[in-house]
Parts: sequence; C-alpha cells; structure tokens
Amino acid sequence: MARSRTGFWLSVPVYAAVVALCVAPLLILLAYSFFQVSFVAVLKEPTLKNYVRILGSETYRWLILKTFGSGLMVAAITAVIGYPVAWFIAKRVVAAKSAFLTLLLVPLYTGDLVRIFAWRMLLGAEGVINTFLMAIGVIREPIGALLFSSLATHIVLTYNYLPFMVLGLWLAFEALDDRLVEAAADLGAGATSTFRRVTLPLTLPGLVAGSLMVFVMVVGDYLTPQLLGGASGVTIISAINDLFGTAFDWPLGSAIAWTMLAILALAFAGAAIVISRSSLGKALAAGEA
Amino acid sequence: MKFQINRRGLLKTAAAGAAFGALQPFSRAFAATDLVWMTWENLAKDDYLAAFVKETGVSITKNFIGTDDEQFAKLRAGGASSVDLITPGLDKVEYYVASDLLQPIDFAKVPNAALLYDTFKKTDLGKKDGKTYGIPFYWGINPIVYRADLMDSEPDWSVFFEGDKYKGKLAMRDYALEGIMIAALYLGIPKDKMFDMDDKELAEVKKALLAQKKLLRTYWNSIGDLTNLFASGEVVCAFSWVPPYYDLSARGLKMGMAKPKAGVIGWCDTIAVPKSVEGEKLDKVFSLVNYLLGPEYGEKLAFGGPYAQGTSAALSKLPDDQKEKIFVKDLSIMDSFVWKKNPARYNDWVALWNEVKAS
Amino acid sequence: MIAADRAKDTSGLGNSPLLQGIAVHKDYGGVHAVRGVDFRIAQNSYVTLLGPSGCGKTSLLRMIGGFEALSSGVLELDGQSLDGVPASRRPVNTVFQNYALFPHLSVEENVGFGLAYRSLSKAEMASNVESALALVQMSPMAKRRPRQLSGGQQQRVALARAIVNEPRLLLLDETLSALDRRMRKDMQIELKDLQRRLGMTFLHVTHDQEEAFALSDEIIVMNNGRIEQQASPAEIYRRPATAYVADFIGGANLAPGRILSVAGETAVIDTPLGRFECPSVAGLQEGDKAVLCIRSELLRLQAGEGGFEAVVTHTVFRGAEWLVEAKTQGGIVISLIVDEPEPPLVGSAVRLGFDPARGWIVSAPTEG
Repeated sequence: MARSRTGFWLSVPVYAAVVALCVAPLLILLAYSFFQVSFVAVLKEPTLKNYVRILGSETYRWLILKTFGSGLMVAAITAVIGYPVAWFIAKRVVAAKSAFLTLLLVPLYTGDLVRIFAWRMLLGAEGVINTFLMAIGVIREPIGALLFSSLATHIVLTYNYLPFMVLGLWLAFEALDDRLVEAAADLGAGATSTFRRVTLPLTLPGLVAGSLMVFVMVVGDYLTPQLLGGASGVTIISAINDLFGTAFDWPLGSAIAWTMLAILALAFAGAAIVISRSSLGKALAAGEA
Repeated sequence: MKFQINRRGLLKTAAAGAAFGALQPFSRAFAATDLVWMTWENLAKDDYLAAFVKETGVSITKNFIGTDDEQFAKLRAGGASSVDLITPGLDKVEYYVASDLLQPIDFAKVPNAALLYDTFKKTDLGKKDGKTYGIPFYWGINPIVYRADLMDSEPDWSVFFEGDKYKGKLAMRDYALEGIMIAALYLGIPKDKMFDMDDKELAEVKKALLAQKKLLRTYWNSIGDLTNLFASGEVVCAFSWVPPYYDLSARGLKMGMAKPKAGVIGWCDTIAVPKSVEGEKLDKVFSLVNYLLGPEYGEKLAFGGPYAQGTSAALSKLPDDQKEKIFVKDLSIMDSFVWKKNPARYNDWVALWNEVKAS
Repeated sequence: MIAADRAKDTSGLGNSPLLQGIAVHKDYGGVHAVRGVDFRIAQNSYVTLLGPSGCGKTSLLRMIGGFEALSSGVLELDGQSLDGVPASRRPVNTVFQNYALFPHLSVEENVGFGLAYRSLSKAEMASNVESALALVQMSPMAKRRPRQLSGGQQQRVALARAIVNEPRLLLLDETLSALDRRMRKDMQIELKDLQRRLGMTFLHVTHDQEEAFALSDEIIVMNNGRIEQQASPAEIYRRPATAYVADFIGGANLAPGRILSVAGETAVIDTPLGRFECPSVAGLQEGDKAVLCIRSELLRLQAGEGGFEAVVTHTVFRGAEWLVEAKTQGGIVISLIVDEPEPPLVGSAVRLGFDPARGWIVSAPTEG
C-alpha cells in the first residue's frame, strides 16, 4: 500500500509534465479554434465558423488531402524499399550489423536544411544528374522537373524518412523466428506465399510502427515541399503557418490544426479497429507476435 | 529586416508564445539604467551603439527577434512589461496600437525626429488620432534582382506575369502581402486603392497570380535560399530583397537590380515604446530613440547595413556611392515607393494567396 | 568409407527404399558436418537418426527437408533426385524442434496451412484439419492460439500440421526433447502408434538412445559426420558395428585387445581381462587391434575360479537391481548389474565372469 502510494506521488511530476507540455497546448489550440478574430483582437465567443470555413474551402480540403496523400505515398514507398533492406540487415548481416545501422542513420545526423541543399545540388538544372545526363548525351536540355517538383519532394521525403521505416521493420525482422519461414516452406509455401502468410503478418507491427512514424513526419514536414517542391510546394502546414503568422488568424489556424488531428485520430482509430478485428490483431493483442 | 528568418521555428514559437508567454516573462537581470530593446540582430551591433552607451552610461540588453510576427506574439502574450523598446514594421504598428501595447512618441524628447524624410512625416502609417506610435527608423526597397548575364534587358513586373521566355526560371517571395501588391502594380491598380481592392479587382489579381505561378520555378522563403537559387542558376530573376545583389556581385556574378516605374515596394521598420515604460526610464528610452535617429548611428548603419535611416541626419556624412547604395542619392525615388500597409481584408488576401499556391 | 560399405550391407527393409542418400556431404565453409554418408530408408518404417549433438544428424535432416543444399552427393526420394527441388515442393514435412507454430494463426489455421497448396475444397480442407486434430486429440483446442497451449499440446499441433499433408516422409527434429520425461514416454507411444496407423515413413532425429529404442524399426547411429551403423535396435544393441556404437548405445564395457585367431563368425581376443572366444564383426584378421564388448547385464559375480578380478568402486541402487562399478587390475572400469538384496562392499575384491558366446568383438577405433 505504502509502496504504491509512493509510486503514485513519484509519478505525479511525470503526469504533470505530460499535461503541461503536451495536453495543455493542444487544449488551448482547441479553445482557439472556436474563437473568431477581428483585426488583432480574438473574440472569445464560441463559434463553429472556422470549421465551416475549412469544410467550405476547396483550398484547405485539397491541401489536407494532398498532405495526407503524400504521407501515405511516402509510407508506402519507404515500406517497399525498407522491407528488403531491413530483412538484409536483420537476417544476412552478422558482424557489421551495427555499422550498417549507423550508416543507415547517417542522413539523420545532418540537419534537414543541409540535406535539402545537398539534394538541390544533385537534382538541380546545373546539378550532378542533369550535368551527367547531358555530358553523356542522353538529354540536350536539363530536366527541369527533377527539382522544384512533386517528384523532387517525394524523392527527398522518402530519403529523409526511410531510416525510420527500416528501423521499425528491422526490429520486427530481428524478432521474426527464421524457423517459421522454414516451416512455411516445409508446408508448401513458395517465396511469395511465405511472405504474404508468414513474414508480412509477423512483421506487421514493425510495418505499422514504421508507417506511422513516416506518415506523421511527412505530414509535419513542410520545409522539404517548400524548398524542393517549387511553386506547388505549399502544404497545409505552411498554410497554417501563414495563418498564425502573417494573417494573425490563430482561430482558423487552430481549427485546421485540429481538423488534421481529428482526421489522424479517426484514421488511427479506424486502423486499430480493423487490425483488432483481424485474427492477426487478436494475436498481437495477446502479445504473441 | 528579416534576415534571421527561421520558418520552421516560427509556428512552434508562435504557439509556445501563446501558451506560455505569461509563464515566461523575459528575464530582467539588470540594473535600473538598463534598457531592453527587442530588435533585429543586425541593428544592434555593439559598435553602432557604443557612442550612446559611453555618453549616457545606460546599458542596453538586446532581445533579438526572428520575425515581426514573433515579436507581436511575444508582446501580446504578456512580454510588453519587460521590454522598453521594440522594432515593429511600419505596416504592423497598427496591430500593436489596436492591441493597446504602445504609448505615443513624445517628440519633445526626440529632437532628431525633425529630420525625418517628408514621406515619413506625411504617412499615416504608424499613427493614430494624430499621435505617432512608431517612428520610421530605417528603410529600404524590395526590388527585382536578376542575373544580368542571363537576361537580355532590365525586367519590370510584367516578367512575372506574361511571356514564357523565362518560364521556370523566376521566383517570387512566398508572402501574400507583397505577392498581391506586385500583381496590383502590374495590373495598374492605383497605389491608394491597392489596399482596399474589391472582389472584382481581387479576382483579377488572382487570375494574374495563377498565370504567374506557371512561370515560377519556386516561391522563396528565406533570402539565403534565394541567393542560393541565383548562384546555382535555378533562378535568373526574382522579386527579391537587396542583399543577393550585393552578395553575388561581390562573388563575381553579373547581377542587376531593377526598380520598376510602376512602383517599388518599400519597407520600413519603426521604433516604438511599450505602454508600461514610464518615469526616468522613459526619458532614457527617448534619448535612445533620438540617438537611433541621429547622425552617429545613421552613418554606422549606412556603411554596416548598408541601410538608410529614417532621417536625413547622417546624409551629409556619406559619400555619393554610399548614398547610391542606400537609395538616398536621388530622393525622388521615394515618390515611386509603395509602402507596405495592412490591407483591410488581409485575411482574404492570405486566403487568395493560399488558393493560388494550392491550385 | 568403411562405414558407407557397411551401411549398404545392412540398410533398408525392402528392396526399393523410399529415401536414399548416396555420398551425401555437407560442409559449412570448411567445417565438415556430414562426411559423405550413404543410407536407405524403407517405406513405412520408423527410423531414428541417433547421435550426440554435433554429429551431423540435424544437418542431414535439414538437407532432406530442403532447408540446406548438399555440398555433394545425391538424395533420392522414390528414385527421383531431390536436387534443386525446394522445400516447398518436397512431399516431406517436418515437425520442428521448437514446433515452429505460427503465432498469428489459430490451431486449426496452423494445421490447415499446408492444405492451401493442394487443390481441395473448403469443406475438404476443414474436414482434413478436423481429422488431423482428432488424430492427435487436439480437437477441443482448434480455436486456440499456440501461445495458449502447453508444450505437449503444441507438439501435437505441430504433428497434426505436418501429417495432414500426407507427406511421403515425415521428419521429426528432436521433437520430444523439450517435453518432460513422463510426457515424452506417452508421446513416444503415440508417435509409434500413429506411424503404424498412418502407414507413413517417419525419420526422427534424437540424441536419446532410449527414445530411439522405443520408437524405431531402424536406427542410424551417427558420429562425427559419419554413419556408424544402420540396423534394428536389437541388432545395434547386440551386435554394434563399432566400439563407438557399443559405447554410445547402452554403455557397454569395452576391453581393448588383439585378435589371436579368427574362425568363421567368432574370434579369439587377448585382453587385459583375459582371453576370450566370442562372436565378432566380419573382416577381422589375426593380429588386428580389436575391442571386446560386454554388456553390463551379462557380467556375473563369480564365486569360484575363472573370470577376472576387480575392486568395487561404486554401488548405485536402481530399484530393481544394483549397478556396480569396479576397476580391474588392468585399469579398465567395468559396470555390471547385481540382482541381489545387497551389493558387494565398496573396496572389496570380486571375481567376474560372463558367457563368451554373448560377448562381441569389434575393430578397435582408428586414431582421431
């Protein structure tokens, strides 16, 4: 009894910190989302107008959709690239494992601006790739679409967040018992079938964790689209930024932020329900995988 | 001006400022004779201020800002009581006044204000009910900067809207206010109507901006980034600030700077005094304001910046080439300036800008 | 390749073996795990692959299962080479050492896993799964997850998952070793019973000779990458092919010596225990170094003359009898079974004898 009470009191600062640092700002943001702004004065009369504006605005709807679409796409691309890489590191590398993982994380040690400018040097009109292609005569004019395009944005987003996907999958592969893969082959499953019926479900926790990390980070990354996406590099996050900053429309900015949060929460909850209803989910819930 | 822009930090700062501003007053570990100046880093260099500090014995604590918005957020969130002097943009002063954060300038204590250029004396900006709240303190223009080696002739605003000779090689600042002002200049909307455009005019602006977007390589967000784009040849012509012109010329590139006849966007920052400053300290603040408008500071700024002061105090000390650099050699240029001003329907402007970018 | 020759002599119960290995060799980067072995496994037999850990039995099993490639040699199933046939295409199923049940699938989904690769209707699949589970008495657990089962139950599921595919050959890899002794005994009986009822061929790897005896029609004894002997349990026990087999199986008393003469199927050997004329393996010649094997239960305490002397060093009560360990004058440690109320005192001298007709002479192990 006494011990558990001590534990309670010891945990109070932790909860207090979480509430103060995470929950409180979100609640303040939520409160603001129901206010209105008049020039520089925030009118604290609850209204749903901001949300109505978001729903009615093709721009914000499209930007939200575009941002989530980017998140899904990059998560999918990193998953496809990450699977073999994670498998290789977990199952084929023995001695140099830590070296490989370190190598994988090297891009993260550099700042994101450094990475973005490095990519510009690679993809630019006078960049490495265009210069090379022109030198060997494949193209006459530099390919402009390599940089300042959706393509460039997604290449770099993929590059930036691939390590997180690989880390998630790598952990899952380390936990995957090779004998289960052998058992599947033994029972007649070919490579594809083994992947689908055994490897994929058993590494799914890693895939989900990796995808969530990648997705959330892509959604939150507005610097990369802004600096590499060209004229169409606007994201919902930079729009929120504009609203908070230049437009001084904190209520609308808060409302968009909360709309994003709500959609994310709904999507996650939906995914959680789907997973928990599947047989795999039950196994996961029982701590078996 | 906004040299130390850090967009990523902005949202965080703004949100945190809103949430915690009240909990985190700016630290004030200073004596009674210490003044706290919230300003841009490049305006408060020690040697700029040395003469004032020596003469008065007042020490100055600098509180550097990253963006004007950040400064406003800090003040609104309760920071006003711990700052003695702030540096809002001329077009932003009305935010501060509307939020009741400032006190009027006592011109009796600022004799150098008599030397303000006419255009600043006449402007309505920074004033309310006949009282001045923000004194225009230093200023400049945002011209078109271009790679003279890669362009045939000096461009004007139309380069951003028509023809496709430079398609995919242009850049525009990602800033609703200036972006729309330029479109209005291009469309020939008069300067005095520009900030009160009606729906029809805004629709025209939007059309022009949509056409513009197709010609752009990208929108730029920091001047360092734009400089890089010029240097790497990704962009040959942009609505810019002045620094890339000097930086890249110094590095041997043949750069050009165009000031279109249709009008040039001028910017100006002011100094303003928070409401809570009073008594002896207020006198000290005004004596600092006076110094900032005076010849010693003006000369330092003209060479160090290089930027022009709001007054003509230092003009006689400057050689012609330096005057040329800070646009005060031929003062008639001020007539073509369009000073940034807060449009009445600014939220609509921002929405329009976002619509164009998201299209 | 003496071992190989011998394997050919004794292998197989029928004429056409189900599985045949010819000079099967496996080396892992210079480590020779299996050194060119030959063997045959007859249809419908229960064969155990017996040997200490590291003897190569698991490598051999993995090559048969298709999880490892042969370094050289041939494996034939029903007369067809298995070379290049992936594990998934072999009519061979495995019960893995740790069972390797899929944690994300229920018991019935586990059992039905392999049936997806055969053209069966849903109903057929379900009924096959059901009868396989019934066969191992796991029907009530069909909806459970592997994690919710005991070791013995997981074992049965693993078995059902393999046999439901009706493989030509079922491989069992140290399958019972994780179970407690009691359950192991029960499962041994069930396994044997199952094999008979299904008429399936089982190849079972184990390091436990008792288990091998309990289950096998034939035992393949492996040591150091080689097959020492392949024969029925009784044959292996009574007529071990090598001193290693004699020692490993049932711990025979071994007395090294030299062959004095050979006559038909018997030979005379001179050992520190004395000279004895006993049955012997084929191929011995006068003057060969050889080993005399005497099973503990053949030795008797002898009241009168004859036999040889030894000093008792340990006595162990085993319920039905005493296990007595004694040291002969030549320094050979001998164990024997004493079926009397009280054992001889430790330290006392005893005289021991045995019926030479039940002794057994094998070649001395070659050096190394």
